[in-house]
Amino acid sequence: MAAESDAFVVEGTFALPYNYFAGRVGSTWLVALRDEQKIYGVRHPQTGKVFVPPRQVDEKDFTDLTGDWVEVGPEGRVTGFTVIRYREPYQPLPVPFGLALIQLDGADTSIVHVVRGEDLGQLSVGRRVRAVFARERKATILDIAHFAPV
Amino acid sequence: MPPKPLSEELIHREHMARFPQRWSTGPVMGKFLKALRDEKRIMANVCPRCGRSQVPPREVCAVCRVAATQFEEVGPAGTLRNFDVVYYASPDPVTGQSREVPYATAYVELDGAKGGATFWHELHETDMTKLRRGLRVRAVFEEDGKRTGAITDIKYFEIIEGEA
Amino acid sequence: MPRKTRPVAIVGVGQTRHSSHREDVNQPELIHEAVRRAIDDAGVSLDDIDAVVTGNMEMFEGTHQPDMWQVLGNGAWGKPCLRVSTGGTTGATVFGAADNLVASGLHDVVLAIGFEKQQEGHTTGGITAMADPLWARHLQTGALTGMAALEVIDEFGHERARRAAMRYRVIMDQHAAKNPNAHRRFNLSFDMIDDLMQKSPPLVGELRLIHMCSQSDGAGAMIFASAERAAAINRRPPVWVQDHVTVHREETLSLSGVPTYDAHGKLETTTQRRAAEILFARNGIARPSEEIDVFEMYDPSAWWGLSWIRDFLLLEGDEHLQMVERGDIAIEGRFPINPSGGVTATNPIGATALLRPLEAALQIRGDAGAHQVPRTVRKALASGFGGTLWTVLMLLSKEKPDA
Repeated sequence: MAAESDAFVVEGTFALPYNYFAGRVGSTWLVALRDEQKIYGVRHPQTGKVFVPPRQVDEKDFTDLTGDWVEVGPEGRVTGFTVIRYREPYQPLPVPFGLALIQLDGADTSIVHVVRGEDLGQLSVGRRVRAVFARERKATILDIAHFAPV
Repeated sequence: MPPKPLSEELIHREHMARFPQRWSTGPVMGKFLKALRDEKRIMANVCPRCGRSQVPPREVCAVCRVAATQFEEVGPAGTLRNFDVVYYASPDPVTGQSREVPYATAYVELDGAKGGATFWHELHETDMTKLRRGLRVRAVFEEDGKRTGAITDIKYFEIIEGEA
Repeated sequence: MPRKTRPVAIVGVGQTRHSSHREDVNQPELIHEAVRRAIDDAGVSLDDIDAVVTGNMEMFEGTHQPDMWQVLGNGAWGKPCLRVSTGGTTGATVFGAADNLVASGLHDVVLAIGFEKQQEGHTTGGITAMADPLWARHLQTGALTGMAALEVIDEFGHERARRAAMRYRVIMDQHAAKNPNAHRRFNLSFDMIDDLMQKSPPLVGELRLIHMCSQSDGAGAMIFASAERAAAINRRPPVWVQDHVTVHREETLSLSGVPTYDAHGKLETTTQRRAAEILFARNGIARPSEEIDVFEMYDPSAWWGLSWIRDFLLLEGDEHLQMVERGDIAIEGRFPINPSGGVTATNPIGATALLRPLEAALQIRGDAGAHQVPRTVRKALASGFGGTLWTVLMLLSKEKPDA
């Protein structure tokens, strides 16, 4: 018979390399962050809904959205948030920061990003914030370093 | 606004997903690994209904689905039922390093194991032309003090010279 | 004997051109291509779809709960969506789940999706991660093994076995050349066999590079409907799902197919043969190699493809080698296998086992274009392989089965 006392714990590591593709639509958006320091969305030709970040089709009706790009922001309003205060190996950003849903001016969807800069205890839904671009940009979401309350 | 041309440049982002894991052996595998470490014995468990051995052992007989609680020693010698000679060693996804090739792995039907169950391990041999199904092989254990309760407490299997 | 509540038809299919150069799309976009083609093929709208079943092996793309993200392109917004993941058999399990959902009466029209973007991850590493970390992971080399080859060689002789496996490979490549969606086409011909046998780099044992399946980016989609909805949709001839069976051996630590014995001391068969025995018995098929018109087999390597012909068709002795040696398995042959080129040509793993019945459905419809077999296809067989040596075996029919 094997007994519970026979069990012990083995430590190991899981590690695999990945290489994610933004796709042509995603690349267009990221390249604009890097090279133009502008944030774009795509607009539905019939409903006028503006999606940020952009996607290739509207998920509800499969309409192609890639024909009409509009600049949005750089300011917007917080539509939801939480304040992160804990450190952890898999949470890569310096704490504390506000993790926020931000609806940029001109957009109908919110993006997830980081709010820094003031007493985060004062952060609220509706608060106006502005994108602060990073000095070194690499065509990633962190080409916007963070949003700052206006 | 004039149509924005889609980017010619296609963005990729490389990311190594790495996280620590802690596996419980459970009682059955724990007993098996401890027997390797402490006694240099290979333990199989036996189904009370069909009599099949399972090695490494598992709680439940895979065929009968009843608890297999009886343990029996098997090996350390056995018969080579099938094997692989690896010429292309896939690089370790993390380190990029490859094992030295060629190397061989073996499915060994250990002496005393019933029902044809085979045990998968490394086969140590420099002359790959010697390998054929049906050879007699035996387990070689890691030295005292170096065994840790891992499957590699058996270093490898080697051909028993002179036995057909 | 399992009985369906009602018959189920495939009313539309779509797939991407499978490739290793799809940096231009992300996951939802890749899937969208196949879904869009299936919807257009069926002539339906998103409103017609009641539910979605989707599958892939998320370890290959490293995206957790990918079904949530995929809603951006897969048509599942606002609909019940089921995600399935069974290793290499994923696409076939997706097929079975979609069929079961419609057969049960729970939904009338179900969209089934399989996809993979092998390029975004590490295929061998992803497969190796399925091995038990305590006793197998340090040995596993992804899906590479030479043991299937060794068994065929031991049984039929070094020269004959290797020549047959290479002949099989060439035939598959010739089929792929006729399939515009296939990933890899090498323009192989029979006079290259000697050369390939010597020069193709060995990977493991006698498994050589040329024998081994592809790693592809691609997606497939199929739309399943009840008979009533199929009659209303009616853009393409319906293809009926007659039956499917899944057989797996719990990982009995004997991956090579080395004989093991069941509880009654009876020699265990491969999952391929067991699935075939069950499926043909309950569908009254006594001589599969005569009663089936085409077989899209999931062949992860030319060696397995060659070996499993015997298991799937319930043959004995060297009949399967003879079939390959005579060219019976060619598109124009007596028993065509993989007119699409099969898995050695194209392998986006989460889609691969769905592409088999998808291609089989095209054959029944007479729609496969240049790789169409030149006969009326009444019954088509399709198989999936993966997981821990699972087999899914699917039977498609031109005629509607009796309920």
